[in-house]
Amino acid sequence: MTYDNTSTAGKADPPVRRLRASPSAGRPYRLNLLVGALSVPLFILLWELIARSGIVNMVLFPPPSVVAVAILEWMRSGQFFWDLSASLYRVTTGFMVGAVLGIFLGVLTGQFPLVSSLLSPLFHILRPIPPIAFVPIVILWFGLSESGKLFLVVWGVFFTVWLSTHIGVQKVDRGLIRAALMLGTPRRQMLQEIVLLGALPYIVVGLRTAVSISFYTLVAAELAGSFAGIVYRIEIAQQNLQTGQVMGGLAALGLISFIADRLFAALAERTVWWR
Amino acid sequence: MQPGHRSNARLSLASSQPSAVAERREPAIRVSDLSIVFETNRGQVMAVDRVSFDVSEGEFVCIVGPSGCGKSTVLNTIAGLEVPFEGEVVVEGQPMHRPRPDVGMVFQQPHLFPWKSVRRNIAHGPRMLGKSASQANAIADDLIAMVGLKRFADAYPNTLSGGMQQRVAIARALANQPRVLLMDEPFGALDAQTRAVMQDNLLELRERINATIVFVTHDIDEAIVLADRVLIMSAGPGRILRELDVALPRPRSNAILLEPAYLSLKKDCLDVIRAEGLRAFQQSDES
Repeated sequence: MTYDNTSTAGKADPPVRRLRASPSAGRPYRLNLLVGALSVPLFILLWELIARSGIVNMVLFPPPSVVAVAILEWMRSGQFFWDLSASLYRVTTGFMVGAVLGIFLGVLTGQFPLVSSLLSPLFHILRPIPPIAFVPIVILWFGLSESGKLFLVVWGVFFTVWLSTHIGVQKVDRGLIRAALMLGTPRRQMLQEIVLLGALPYIVVGLRTAVSISFYTLVAAELAGSFAGIVYRIEIAQQNLQTGQVMGGLAALGLISFIADRLFAALAERTVWWR
Repeated sequence: MQPGHRSNARLSLASSQPSAVAERREPAIRVSDLSIVFETNRGQVMAVDRVSFDVSEGEFVCIVGPSGCGKSTVLNTIAGLEVPFEGEVVVEGQPMHRPRPDVGMVFQQPHLFPWKSVRRNIAHGPRMLGKSASQANAIADDLIAMVGLKRFADAYPNTLSGGMQQRVAIARALANQPRVLLMDEPFGALDAQTRAVMQDNLLELRERINATIVFVTHDIDEAIVLADRVLIMSAGPGRILRELDVALPRPRSNAILLEPAYLSLKKDCLDVIRAEGLRAFQQSDES
């Protein structure tokens, strides 16, 4: 794009400053903070106590200490690194390909009614099919290869990003387009200067939804038969009744997708810099 | 329209108008027999019915009329945004069919690009016409100073008040140095105080630029304060009822609202509008 956004640092003060919260609001706020900080430790403590109390089967429901040992063992063996990189590779590659395709076709269908008439009905029929339902056919098509797994993630990401881009492009304020027309904006520039940026807030929301979708489809892809990956490790551990490892895998998956979402939220804030 | 109609309708208050000189030259805008029909789901609706008027080079014309009388449609046609139409619209000697950079427009909503700072919003037009970034920024900075927003050059539109946003929109429309500036109720969404300040700003600005201005409003006071000539339009279908020359001295400001000459002009306007309102009321009663 032809402009840069370095001038955000010089942003002027808003004409009206927001009033500070009154001091009386301080105490409940601090209490909330404290309780919030205790939430996860309390849960883990409770879990440990219940698991060791004998009311549940410790083999099926291992305490967090056992899970922690399993995770450490997983890391020390070096398998964790391979599983992590295999899973991350699938998620990021699939996400990128799906997102690029989704944005590209979303701009086309959003901008050109003819393309929309051609593709939108098809996409609307295919979109509601859960990507997991494609696992059997994907195994037939791709076997146990990586491309099959990428296909599933791309499939999941594509429709979400396509739809949000399509809607975003259509919702671009007509007034902005008229204003740009009056200023002599040529057709090609109109797309990159006005339409893409106008649709950007929608696209970013679609991409963020697609981040979690890519993790859902990753689970399906790895369960469908793979040789490394976090979910693959969970499945192997389940077959060996290593419940500590299973829960460790779940924790790792949760943490990774949480971090991915946070990173993306931070990135989104910078992408839509004028908000 | 009969040939004598226009001069009959004129209510000149002073004879100091340079109209004799202006009329000999080609007008900046010539609208002849403009008719516009909208297709709606209840059939065809005639929005504008054989409207004709000229605007001379450098003149400030206000079109006043009730909402829905087609005045914005007429303005959009002059902007090249409203096609198709019947009749002829010629701006600076060229028939109007699509937007042109020598015709600028300010809308009722500022329609600023939210992702661009004030400076970049104003620099957008010159950039699109092929000026370099530094040239465009220099033009923008001059205009920012002219509309009094130096402190906000790097601010984003959502941090500005409505009045400030509209000043940016005016500066942005002026950045391509248009020969004709079209304004579609630009102060309609502002509160009364801000509107008065903006009107005074526009009057000052007008002395510094040599653009022909067509300004659409439903506010008679606004029209008389600003314009050299007021066109009064009626609704359904839009027609021009009268033209009034506003021969009040320039430079003007909102202070003229209390002058007797102003009040008698306003009375003329109101008489025309009241007569038309009554006619329309009776007509709707009969049918």
